[in-house]
Amino acid sequence: MSLKNLLSAAAVSVALLSAPVALALEPAAMVQILSVIDDRQRNGGDYKAHIYLEQKEKDKTDNVREGFVYRRDADDKLMILFSKPKTEAGKGYLRLDKNLWSYDPNVGKWERRTERERIAGTDSRRADFDESRLAEEFDPSYEGEAKLGKYTAHRLNLKVKPNIDVAYPVVKLWVDKDTNNILKREEYALSGRLMRTALYPRWKKVFSESKGADVWYPEEIRFYDEVEKANSTIVLIKSVDLRALEANLFTKAWLESKSR
Amino acid sequence: MFQLFLIAFRNLGTHRRRTLLLGGAIAGVTALLVILMGLSQGMEETMLRSATTLGTGHVNVAGFYKITSGQAAPVVTAYPKILELVRKEVPELDYAVQRGRGWAKLVSEKTSAQVGVGGIDVQDEPGFRQVLQVRSGSMDDLMQPNTVLIFEKQAKRLEVKVGDIVTIAAPTMRGTNNTVDVRVAAIAADVGMMSDFNVYVPSQTLRALYQLRDDSTGAIFLYLKDLKQMSQVQAKVRQLLTDAGYIVMDNDPRAFWFKFDVVNREEWTGQKLDITNWEDEMSFITWTLKALNGLTGILTFVLLIIIGVGIMNTLWIAIRERTREIGTLRAIGMQRTRVMVMFLFEAMTLGALGTLAGALIGLVVCVSVDAAHVGVPEAAAMFIMSDRLHLVVNAGSTVGAMVFITGCTTLISLIPSFLAARLKPVTAMHHIG
Repeated sequence: MSLKNLLSAAAVSVALLSAPVALALEPAAMVQILSVIDDRQRNGGDYKAHIYLEQKEKDKTDNVREGFVYRRDADDKLMILFSKPKTEAGKGYLRLDKNLWSYDPNVGKWERRTERERIAGTDSRRADFDESRLAEEFDPSYEGEAKLGKYTAHRLNLKVKPNIDVAYPVVKLWVDKDTNNILKREEYALSGRLMRTALYPRWKKVFSESKGADVWYPEEIRFYDEVEKANSTIVLIKSVDLRALEANLFTKAWLESKSR
Repeated sequence: MFQLFLIAFRNLGTHRRRTLLLGGAIAGVTALLVILMGLSQGMEETMLRSATTLGTGHVNVAGFYKITSGQAAPVVTAYPKILELVRKEVPELDYAVQRGRGWAKLVSEKTSAQVGVGGIDVQDEPGFRQVLQVRSGSMDDLMQPNTVLIFEKQAKRLEVKVGDIVTIAAPTMRGTNNTVDVRVAAIAADVGMMSDFNVYVPSQTLRALYQLRDDSTGAIFLYLKDLKQMSQVQAKVRQLLTDAGYIVMDNDPRAFWFKFDVVNREEWTGQKLDITNWEDEMSFITWTLKALNGLTGILTFVLLIIIGVGIMNTLWIAIRERTREIGTLRAIGMQRTRVMVMFLFEAMTLGALGTLAGALIGLVVCVSVDAAHVGVPEAAAMFIMSDRLHLVVNAGSTVGAMVFITGCTTLISLIPSFLAARLKPVTAMHHIG
């Protein structure tokens, strides 16, 4: 564990120990928790993940997609490339200079997309595969403790900071008291209506040489559409590889070459 | 010359069976042409009336607004100023309305649908009540906030009725998700393809959903006193707004939602206006009208060929049968040209009488079908934008059809008439036939 993370954990521990049981967390402690959550999922170098997306929609056939997520957090670069099924092979998304592009090899065309587009028509979005930015984007408030199955969690209510654009301006988090991992996440629309629920049943960590510390990732994420309640998406992150990627990987030419 | 006409007319009477046969064929073609033209004009009239109320004006001041270069929204900001300018400088304007434009998910307890959402101020929409037939509920309820008007097909699909609550969900211009719960205030009769993809809410409700200011809208629909001036007014408005300092997009004759790909790919940000007309906005559907017109032309052409062959053949037979008669006429001094004109008159008279009969038949059919309010299959209703067949008879078009067919039959008869006139009297008188 790096010195930064060690100091962060120590600060959190001190804050927690100094507070009486069941009393509200101080704002600084909550911000620190969010920072730890963000930092855990960030890697100093490159990041490659092998993922599966399973989508369920009402009155439609379930479908599963296999793909890869490539990230270079230092440069805020992201690529999502689908490999299966055959009809989806070669399709992908590329984030460059704050623009999100999608590519369809069937027509050989790049299209600019919004940051909050549903990835491949599922309930997942780009931010779900990118590094976590909770501390940067939200102001937390404490809502108390809650039991979630066998876990005891802090309930945090996050409101978006002014002049920050996010898909869901209000987020409620259930953070495990023991591990500080996210267990559940509810996302609300501007109108206050619950739009999406995400469950994080399993977390894993991998040691990163470039970071000098562990990188955590959710092994499974379950998204439930709360507006159309029959719709859901399961994201499985099967493996994560933190070794250096090709220097020219985050380019349109590289993504196009994968479909030739 | 009048004598020649009399001779021709009497000849038609002499050969009654042949006259009735050919005349009937000509009448049939004319009737079919009149009916097809009635159908085409009815479709166009219905399409224009429905489209220019529900989805577009005669001329539109629309546009796109981009907060970031990759994300366009169909929004016109500070529209009152634009509207004031247009009203002041465009005397051809009859009235104008503003219409919000949205694309959202409409969710009921049972299912959902992706729909275009129009924001209207129903009290300012004179055409809305004329075009839409409300099946249940009341259009006046749309004056209340958080209400929605849907069509019968949508109500059936979503399994809702008047008074039920549905949710409209959409991202704002900045990409933040928002929802609004609306009450079904009215259910209207289907209007073809427009019924599938459009719902209407009060303007204020749409602005709340998209977090827009009160001076923002989707488009300004301009309705003209004379539709024929559409092109001139469009050019005039374009120049007017350009001179006033607005950035106006290059003309692209497509519906606005087809332009998102191009607009999103461009690097500019801010506001750009787009001046369009109803044909641009409905270009995705008017191809059916062109297809029908093309079919009419092809069918008429083929039938006219058949009629032409029939007339020519009949005249050949007539000339053969009347060779001695021609010889006699020539012998007593009738000029070649007069013989030719006599046969031409015969064909022209046949054509004129046939087309007149056909036009009357077509007129009766069109008026009867239109008056009967015949329903059409759902597939057809998709394209004619109405669930009732509407046929319009245009006097000018009908007369044009009559003249056209009569002219064709007369021209076809030129060759046999000319050859008949060339017969030598001696040869004709010696002919045994």
